[in-house]
Amino acid sequence: MAGGSEKKSSEDANDLQTFNAENLQSNMKVIYYSRTFLSIIGGVIAGILGFTGLTGFIFYFLIMAITSIGLIAKAKFSVHSYFDSWNRIILDGFFGGLMSFVLFWTFAYDIVHIF
Amino acid sequence: MGLGFLIGAFGVLILAHAAFSTIQYRGLLKILEEEFSGPPVNVIVELLLALSFCMWAALTAAGKFLSVHHHSEENRIVSLPANMDFLIFNHRGKVFSPGTDMRLKH
Repeated sequence: MAGGSEKKSSEDANDLQTFNAENLQSNMKVIYYSRTFLSIIGGVIAGILGFTGLTGFIFYFLIMAITSIGLIAKAKFSVHSYFDSWNRIILDGFFGGLMSFVLFWTFAYDIVHIF
Repeated sequence: MGLGFLIGAFGVLILAHAAFSTIQYRGLLKILEEEFSGPPVNVIVELLLALSFCMWAALTAAGKFLSVHHHSEENRIVSLPANMDFLIFNHRGKVFSPGTDMRLKH
């Protein structure tokens, strides 16, 4: 409690933009959770649909774009009260999700179309 | 939390059913000796349903966003200690109070 009020008064004193690091970390965790889950689901869907090559990667971009829009809607369109920059909500977790996507894409494609 | 997980599990079940239907459809095509051009309509409808269910689950089951600003409404400390009656301000420490008072005013 004392730390919080001290921080607040110091913020008022030199007018420096500070963020609540714990809450920012928790928001990032929510974003990673959503992106990982949706890239796995998107991979399975791309595999069942039988996408090969570039089509699947375009499908991944589509899924991630829809996810970003969903996350922005979840943040009630005021991104700066929950994150410090737009990159957090649009780019973070993109390449990690791509790995999961390719793994489950090939997995579902093999199960449905090859075996 | 619980509802989101249930919806997500239901979406995954629909996905599994869609995969199974596609496998059966491919078996049928093999018997008819035709080429696979795309999954049947009911599979596509199932996939869209599963995608919307899982999207909803991913956006709700992950937890709520918390505000990162110190001065926002939900980050304010509103809970006071339960033993408020025992707080004493009339003690020797009040001699030093002007200094802290000035800082707070600023």
